[in-house]
Amino acid sequence: MTSLDGSGRQLTLVLVLVGLLVGVAVAPQAWDSANEPEGTVAVVELHGTITGDSASAVIDNLREARQNDSIKAVVLDVDSPGGTASASEQFYLAVKRTASEMPVMTSVTGTAASGSYYAAAPTDNIYVTPASVIGSIGVRATLPSANIPEGQIVTGPDKVGGSTPDEVRQRVETLRRAFVGSVFAERGDRIELTREEVSHAKVYAGATGVENGLADEIGGIDTAIAAAADDAGLSNYNVVRMEAPQPSVLAQLGLSTATSGDTTTAQTFEYRGVDTVQYLMLHGTIKTKTTSNTTEVTANATA
Amino acid sequence: MQPRNVARAIGIIAVVAAVVVAAAFAGGLLLGPSTQSEAPNAPAYNTNELIAEPIEDDGSVTAPTDGQAKTVVIDMSHGNDVSENDLQPLIDALVAADHNVRMYSGGTSSIGSQPGAAFNETLRGADALVAASPATTYSSNEVAGVEAFADAGGRVLLAAEPPTTTSTTSTVSIPGLSSGGTIAAAGQPTNLAATFGVSFGNGYLYDMTENANNFQSVHAGGDSGVADGVENAILTDATPVTTGGDASSVLTASDVSLSSTREEASYSVAARNGDVLAVGDTDFLTSSATAGDNDVLLSNVAAFLVSGDKEAGAPASPSSSTGEQNGTMPPVMTA
Repeated sequence: MTSLDGSGRQLTLVLVLVGLLVGVAVAPQAWDSANEPEGTVAVVELHGTITGDSASAVIDNLREARQNDSIKAVVLDVDSPGGTASASEQFYLAVKRTASEMPVMTSVTGTAASGSYYAAAPTDNIYVTPASVIGSIGVRATLPSANIPEGQIVTGPDKVGGSTPDEVRQRVETLRRAFVGSVFAERGDRIELTREEVSHAKVYAGATGVENGLADEIGGIDTAIAAAADDAGLSNYNVVRMEAPQPSVLAQLGLSTATSGDTTTAQTFEYRGVDTVQYLMLHGTIKTKTTSNTTEVTANATA
Repeated sequence: MQPRNVARAIGIIAVVAAVVVAAAFAGGLLLGPSTQSEAPNAPAYNTNELIAEPIEDDGSVTAPTDGQAKTVVIDMSHGNDVSENDLQPLIDALVAADHNVRMYSGGTSSIGSQPGAAFNETLRGADALVAASPATTYSSNEVAGVEAFADAGGRVLLAAEPPTTTSTTSTVSIPGLSSGGTIAAAGQPTNLAATFGVSFGNGYLYDMTENANNFQSVHAGGDSGVADGVENAILTDATPVTTGGDASSVLTASDVSLSSTREEASYSVAARNGDVLAVGDTDFLTSSATAGDNDVLLSNVAAFLVSGDKEAGAPASPSSSTGEQNGTMPPVMTA
């Protein structure tokens, strides 16, 4: 009995030791497992002027965020003066779709004006800093040239201009209704301004935006990321940044003709030599042919 | 192996493979990643109010044919921002009613004559004057001429635009370079209007709620005189008209705002002082001549121009003020 007891105790000791060894070997994985991120917050950049190409890239990023199972929330990092009307509407729909599936926050890291505010409107919360620029909820269009230029044969009276000035005015008004209507559909319960006041297309400082309901809270991008994670129920998460398409190498080197941010519609939208009617949701002064000519004349006169 | 056994083996393989593929397909359907969510509903895109309605743009401009043929002079000599083509609706109506229309582009006065003598000479043979959107100011001699012309029963139409002086300065980006040569209140016959107790505003009128597809296209109406039957004129680039003295408002835009002050009120957009009519819009003469009730308004304006009863020979030539009155004489040179 005694010898049996002794060998039994020894066996138990060995087994405990083996168990301890196994446990120590596996423990780091258990530790890691306990601290494994529960998901990812994707920061999707929306930087620069919105054109068809830049919009497609960001819309692809949003789709990726929806389809990637590890991504549980999105923060839209907005710094854009807007761009073409059609691309801005595409954006709005893509962001709205993403927001219907997961928490989406906006952090205005510079400007969210016109078309880029359109994109930010359906997000759950818009975070601004006091100096952020938001608003400019409106549409503009360049007027078509009415006459058929000499040396051209066209098949109809509107082939050159596309539409009459009255029709352009009507279409711009339609786009305004869609824009203002969408902003109110998304944020009408928070906006303290009337539709008419919003249609003035003012830009507001971030601090004012929080007051009038165009934005929700003062906070930086980390606040927005934390809020997005919190809404998604993540206490432990990764952050990945999905960058906006970079401008061309020439532009980065400053060799592009568009210097000091003064971009003309021709440079931005690559309609060189073709005068097309542009429907824009863009904040800022556009240099049209007429005004640049005026500037030239003025410069010559005083030189 | 017997061929029968081979066939059996292949059959078994095929059946098993089919079962596996079917199971995978069914499993994929049931357990695979969820499909794309439904397309979001954009409520603002699905309303009846989305599409802006076109503005009613028919009707025609007419001028009265009764009475004698009148001569209407359209001043083009002050850099007026209207062309013969632009003014076609008005010119066509006047010509169709057998009236004469002369475009005065200036320049025939002899060396040494008083500035504006040629302009005043043209007025002498006219029954009505149209001065729309001038870029340069009228000289004091011309103003005196127009005043004498109106005093003698000549009809005067002054049409203005919102001032355009800011457009050249806003886009100049070179530091230190400013456009110093712009003329104040270009587009407005300011001193001419002041003579008749009318002044034009310093901004454009807009209406954010009730407008003709653009905030700058405001509705205006009136009930008598040139505004008779005009309930819904559409002024696409209007500036208010302030009246003083004997001038009185004839056309009003209600609940609109002025761009320079952002103040909402009822603004007068046309005023009449005897034989002088001042309108704070030029587009109703040109591009929007038939929009809304503009055809009625412009027909009334055409009737106003040709229904005056002007004494022959006014304004008097400089020599006739001291000597005999002869309206048909060419301007006398004054040394």
